[in-house]
Amino acid sequence: MAENKHDLKEQVRELIYNTCIHLDDHQWEHWHDNCADNFNYAIRAFSPEVQADIKYHGGDKEYMQSITSMLSKHNSDQSPLRRHCTVYRVEIAADGKSAAAISSLAVYQTQLDGINSHVDAGTTSVFLVGRYNDKFIIDGDSIKFEDREVRLDTRRLDKGTHWPI
Amino acid sequence: MSSRNHDQWNATPDLQQGEWVDSKIYSDEEIFEDELKKIWSKTWIPVCHESELKEAYSFRTMTVAREPVIVVRGKDMVVRAFLNVCPHRGNMIERRPSGNYKRGTPSGTPKTMTCMFHAWSFDMKGKCVNISRKAEGYQDRLNESQVGLRELKCEVYFGGFVWVSLNDDIGITVEEFAAGSLDVLAPSLNEEPLEVFHYHKAIIPCNYKLWHDTNCEFYHDYLHYHNRITGFNEAYFARKNSGFDGGHINVGSFEVQYDNYEGSHSREELSFPHLPPNHWYMIDMFPGVNFNLRGSALRCDLMTPLGPNSVMIEFRGLGLASDSKKDRQTRIDHHNSIWGPFGRNLHEDLLAVTGQGSSMHPMAESRKILHGRHENETIHDENGMRHYYEEWGKLLNRSPSNPDEKFKPYPAFKEQEAQRAAAAGK
Repeated sequence: MAENKHDLKEQVRELIYNTCIHLDDHQWEHWHDNCADNFNYAIRAFSPEVQADIKYHGGDKEYMQSITSMLSKHNSDQSPLRRHCTVYRVEIAADGKSAAAISSLAVYQTQLDGINSHVDAGTTSVFLVGRYNDKFIIDGDSIKFEDREVRLDTRRLDKGTHWPI
Repeated sequence: MSSRNHDQWNATPDLQQGEWVDSKIYSDEEIFEDELKKIWSKTWIPVCHESELKEAYSFRTMTVAREPVIVVRGKDMVVRAFLNVCPHRGNMIERRPSGNYKRGTPSGTPKTMTCMFHAWSFDMKGKCVNISRKAEGYQDRLNESQVGLRELKCEVYFGGFVWVSLNDDIGITVEEFAAGSLDVLAPSLNEEPLEVFHYHKAIIPCNYKLWHDTNCEFYHDYLHYHNRITGFNEAYFARKNSGFDGGHINVGSFEVQYDNYEGSHSREELSFPHLPPNHWYMIDMFPGVNFNLRGSALRCDLMTPLGPNSVMIEFRGLGLASDSKKDRQTRIDHHNSIWGPFGRNLHEDLLAVTGQGSSMHPMAESRKILHGRHENETIHDENGMRHYYEEWGKLLNRSPSNPDEKFKPYPAFKEQEAQRAAAAGK
């Protein structure tokens, strides 16, 4: 079991890192494929201004699929977002059927068309920092996201974005 | 003529007075300073909502016309506002965005606002209650009664919003200032207590008026797929855009077809009190406040102008304080789908005004910005902006279309048309 747990932890890490690539590269379908049917997504931050936990974005799998499927209809800042993620902790449940992970996250934005592209395109800045708090369902060889909370430290998002983080 | 040379580009538009403005009003440092002095320092500005000050001794800090402001709720539960400045050496007394003075601070005792610098303390009514080592330093030359905080005009009005004015001589209530513009939403917002469920802020490199313009005109529906697919029917284009004294406007309602947007659903179950299902009203108050009620969620934009080409916008979402946990979550999801920092419309609006800010930055050549659409004062009419700039011109005594000249009241559009026709011999 100990060896199996070690393997499972590695698989969870791999899934988190691969998902970063999928999200960076807008491979939305790959992301959705790695989410369980009962998946839930939320971006949250605590606001010291109003002393409350604020949900900025999120929903179930169907909603997140609609979010990504509608992107082409909308005017969006197309400046690429790149994730730098480090998985800090993975815990596998005693029965081996679920897991939880905490990852540190920084997202960088490289300007393309968000401001004046002639001047600003190519400039990279930190878009946000926070953590991924993830939960997984393990079923044999299959590991899928059951819940992802993007817990933000950054609360000044300025123009914001249409893309899931 | 198709494209234009420099002279043609800079020529006065063949439109009536008030139907264009000079872009200098969006970029000029001197005009910006004039605005802070003659508008933002003189009028009522909403700064937060009373639900952010739930308990006695709670406080919020903010900035109005560059002045640091603190709003506190006293033990008598009255909300008061003060300059957040210590009368001793001018330090900002409170650095935190919010909190509660029931607990003491490192330099101060509980239930006082204490400047950390030299521990001068003030009660919730702004009275100085402690000058540290007073007798040793001031003997009998200065006492607490002489160094109270500077109190500001403050009202809680319209669904619990907290309004502040730096102008002791303002002479009118918020209700009088609103001049009837808030009436359309008053029954919905005053029926029961509201609560803030969303807050985020953005600092955008554009003039504050460009954001207000965007809130005032709906012709930019072409920016928003969501608006086009859930609106754009006869009822939508009949929405009235009405002006009120003081430069305020409001936009009439219609029934939004939320089901037309994939992943979106009717908001009927959680309509605000007295609001027909899925209806959508909007109020834009001079000089830069927006109340936007879409069925189940109220949005409020408060602006803090930071410079001619920089504005901080605070976005709040509000629901009913009586919401169940489930209803609150649904309201939040409704709000976020359009207006959150990852929502459909807000990102698009902010992209557009950022582009305007890039084009109309300080030192950029002046441009003629057109506000000339007339559609019987309905949704795509640009009368909202015209109405705003008429008030702006009066208060600054500057012509919006030539801000180096004094403002001259201009006749109504129909009169101008008649004069023009007469001059042309029609």
